[in-house]
Amino acid sequence: MIRLEGVTKRYPNGHQGLVNISMTVHRGEFVFLVGPSGAGKSTLIRLLYGEERPTSGEIVIDQFRLNGMTWRQLPRLRRQLGIVFQDGKLLPTRTVFQNVAFAMEVVGASRKDIHKRVPQVLELVGLARRRDHYPEELSGGEQQRLGIARALVNHPSYILADEPTGNLDPETAAGIMKLFQEINRRGATVVMATHAKDLVNQMQKRVVVIEHGSIVRDDAKGVYAYES
Amino acid sequence: MSLNSIGYLMKEAGRSLWRNSWMALASVSTVTIALFVLAVFVVVSVNVNHVTAMLESQVEIRVFIKPHVDRRRELALMQEAKTWPGIRKIQFFTKQQAAEALKQEFPDQHTLFQLIQKSNPLFDGYNVYARAPSDIRTIAGHFARQPIVHNVVYQGTVVKRLTRLATVLKWSGWVVEALLGVATLFIIINTIRLAVFARRREIQVMRLVGATNWFIRWPFILEGLTIGLMGAVAADAAVALGYHWVLRQAAVSLPFWPMAGFQVVLLHTTVFTVIGGLVMGALASVVALHRFLRV
Repeated sequence: MIRLEGVTKRYPNGHQGLVNISMTVHRGEFVFLVGPSGAGKSTLIRLLYGEERPTSGEIVIDQFRLNGMTWRQLPRLRRQLGIVFQDGKLLPTRTVFQNVAFAMEVVGASRKDIHKRVPQVLELVGLARRRDHYPEELSGGEQQRLGIARALVNHPSYILADEPTGNLDPETAAGIMKLFQEINRRGATVVMATHAKDLVNQMQKRVVVIEHGSIVRDDAKGVYAYES
Repeated sequence: MSLNSIGYLMKEAGRSLWRNSWMALASVSTVTIALFVLAVFVVVSVNVNHVTAMLESQVEIRVFIKPHVDRRRELALMQEAKTWPGIRKIQFFTKQQAAEALKQEFPDQHTLFQLIQKSNPLFDGYNVYARAPSDIRTIAGHFARQPIVHNVVYQGTVVKRLTRLATVLKWSGWVVEALLGVATLFIIINTIRLAVFARRREIQVMRLVGATNWFIRWPFILEGLTIGLMGAVAADAAVALGYHWVLRQAAVSLPFWPMAGFQVVLLHTTVFTVIGGLVMGALASVVALHRFLRV
């Protein structure tokens, strides 16, 4: 469970942060964060994976209390999270297989486990036949799938995605969204910041609307709507 | 840490060194120079200590008698001295004997011997052996007060001077070493920074998927340690070759000079350079990574 209570984030440079955000995401939920650019969606995602600390308020993810978390504890939280970015953050000098394997290597997985798990994940995201290609040889959609495969490979309980379909054409974006739906169906909780209006409306999932750093709507089967 | 991880860490450190091989080479060279200078100081100070120790173990005093003193008075003083406490043995020598001894010690100095043979400027005297080094000063004082004695030479003065020299050497060595060390540190720090920069994407991904900070650090620390160790090995090789050559030369041209043994010297320099290299390498990596890994 993810729980935020009165979370405020202020930046010294006056950049839009968050104001008194309270929300709860239960296990197995699929939550869209929508709102205008710069409303604070990305800030919220960054707070969830501990990249930034709230100015005030409390953030709890399962047994992890993020407020007092030291840099020693942070890796343990991150192993529960799969994080997907718009730009993928792929390693250009490594193949598809190596990119995914890398995420397992650096948390100390054995070679045997890596060779068993990576093909499974590549199969799931539909990149099994591209395993020896380099990221630059992939299409935008494939690159995004690779980023998702890497986020999934260590069996995280939560998937945090920041604009995962940001620079994809609508058809490809729909495919990616289906993939997230499949991941969610298999038990992972998904929190996604997005601008993909049509897709959000199709999915009939929980929608949290953020404007000027505050939650203005939170609908269980919501639609993408906000005043800009 | 599992075996998988250790394999991974070594591979990463090696890969990074290979990728930045020119910078790594520059770092290794500066480490080598710094450690070579350190090793030279070590070699010199081991030798100074060696000579000091040897002189201290020779409890010998040399007493020179004024010229034109009657042989009987010389021998009388020797008889008297035999009764003094602390004296183990006393040997009389004439200036002719002194000249002979000199000839044996420096067989190549022909002009000197011709000079000595014409008019011998040396003195008669005694070689006095003390029972213990602590007796030397008292015995020397006794002799110095005798009217027929010209002067007394004992190793005490030499030992004192050598000890002082050793101290000066040690301190100036440390100062030079500290300066070189700082310069070397900066170069290694830059090399590691370059490696960190080259791998910033990997580091970012590692942090996102929950690699521990130590796991991220280790390849760079290994890299620093490798640079330090390679520098140490190179410096030691240079010192070993150099000292071997010095020993051979010394055996020919300074045969009376007691040189410290090859193995003893190498043992000392190796300990200093390896520890120095590893400490510099590790310290540089930690400094280089410090800012990068703040979460």
